[in-house]
Amino acid sequence: MATLKQREAIAAFGFLAPAYIIYLLFLAIPLIAALFLSVLEVDRLTLSIDYVGWANFDWIFTDPRFWKTFANTFYFITLAVAGNVGLGLVLAILLDRNLPGPLLYLFRLAYFLPVLVSLAFVSFIWQFLFSYDLGIINYYVRLLGLPPVGWLNDQNIAMFSIVIIDVWKNVGFFIIILLAALQGVPKSLLEAARIDGASAFTTLRRIKIPYIAPVILFCVTYATIGGLQVFDSIKIITNGGPGDSTRSVVMYMYSEAFNAGELGTGAASALTLLIVIAVVVAIQLGLGRRLARR
Amino acid sequence: MTIAHETTFSNRVLAASQVINWRNLPVMILLGIGAIFMLLPFLWMFATSMRPASEAYQLPPSFLPSRLNFDAYWAVLDSPIPFLRMYFNSFVVAVATTIGTIVTSAMAAFAFSRLRFPGNSWLFGFMLLGLMVPPALIVIPLFFGMAAAGLLDSLWSLILPALASPLAVFMMRQFMEGQPREYEEAAFVDGASYWTIFWRISLPQMGPPIAALSIIVFTSSWNNFLLPLIFVRKFETMTLPVGMVALSDNFGSLSLAAIMAAVTMCVLPLLVVFLIAQRFIVESITSTGIKR
Repeated sequence: MATLKQREAIAAFGFLAPAYIIYLLFLAIPLIAALFLSVLEVDRLTLSIDYVGWANFDWIFTDPRFWKTFANTFYFITLAVAGNVGLGLVLAILLDRNLPGPLLYLFRLAYFLPVLVSLAFVSFIWQFLFSYDLGIINYYVRLLGLPPVGWLNDQNIAMFSIVIIDVWKNVGFFIIILLAALQGVPKSLLEAARIDGASAFTTLRRIKIPYIAPVILFCVTYATIGGLQVFDSIKIITNGGPGDSTRSVVMYMYSEAFNAGELGTGAASALTLLIVIAVVVAIQLGLGRRLARR
Repeated sequence: MTIAHETTFSNRVLAASQVINWRNLPVMILLGIGAIFMLLPFLWMFATSMRPASEAYQLPPSFLPSRLNFDAYWAVLDSPIPFLRMYFNSFVVAVATTIGTIVTSAMAAFAFSRLRFPGNSWLFGFMLLGLMVPPALIVIPLFFGMAAAGLLDSLWSLILPALASPLAVFMMRQFMEGQPREYEEAAFVDGASYWTIFWRISLPQMGPPIAALSIIVFTSSWNNFLLPLIFVRKFETMTLPVGMVALSDNFGSLSLAAIMAAVTMCVLPLLVVFLIAQRFIVESITSTGIKR
């Protein structure tokens, strides 16, 4: 006869089982398999598997294209984080006022709408907006008397265009998080600043921004991790081109594993990505702790 | 009844106009311009989908359709690519994923939040580690597993991995922590089983957060691109994001208007869901521990 405590524990494991079994089967075990795969060479025809040690990592680390995709991805992240969090913060500050209810509703609708819609779908729209000859954006550029811009077919500009799409799509998410943080700033602090005669700008700089600094840091980390995985829009719009100028790390992984059939090097590049993400998270946790102590 | 409604409405307008701080006007204009820019791509998509094929590339662009012309929509439905079938697939996958995720994550959250057992926090922490794993990393071994299980090119290959959602477990536990425990304790004292308590008391209490989480899971399934791109090769089992790529690769036979009609149809369910439930979504994002 099981005791009450044992019965509770048995019931608990029963409740956990479905989620946990799926978690192990489709996330934890594949993750471990990816670790093993990165030191193996798999022949897709004969399905023979050889242990090759660090050879896969040696291969990708000496492949200039791999470093190119990392450089591309970091270029993307730098601009996308600045755009998403910077613009998101400005818009959140502007929205953090006594705006009339219906207007606030409309703004929230407009800015949040793209967040909900997949990059895969809106990429088709942007592909045509950015088109060189027939695109709307170049139509207005010409109207201003300027030469048309090769948004997607100029090597120096294509990644910037991908960033514009990313910011348009994601800025609403950051607006909502930052707005919630701004509205959580204690009224007593703001009241005290007002009595001391602080201007709106001083209040913002000295009270609101420091108060929400941890949330800003969260947004930066979140945008960085998302940026490291950029794939959908690039795959659809430029497929990595022109040249290799928009090829991202995940695209490298994808083409190694599923186009070239090199599953081992694909796994090695994905694993490198995970390590970079873990480092980013660790740095963020460290910074967050320091901010909290201050 | 009508009069009462009108009174409250005009009162509200009056109240709103008194609340407006006219010094905010420049800010409102600035935000308004930004909002219009956010919406323009959608408006252009819709206007283009309503154009006859011959006017597809019309410049200057129009952002509102001059007249309603559904030819492009029929062209999509008539194309050799089985768009309706893909639509149906997307629905099946999204609905199955949503129901499955809600059930499994609610059950796990009940255990984590309400029951005492050895290893509770350890098991929860181990699951949260899954939040950090990029899908790109596990997609290669998953592809192998799916191939071995004979599930490639089936909708199961899209549903099953999506059910492993640490985010859903985490959010559901946060929601449940916010609920009072008194009813559950009372039911337990009355001798109800854990299953009855979960099913009859815990779940019904969480209506609104479950609705919000359902929307998030549904849209992320509807929008998923990487997994279907790799696991599905046949038109008959494709979901919409990958189907759209197939459709536009066959662009030669379809006009731009048709592509935009297809995108409109892909986006429409999300817009409807969003208009109905935007408050739920926004509140659930801001209330699940992201606030300090």
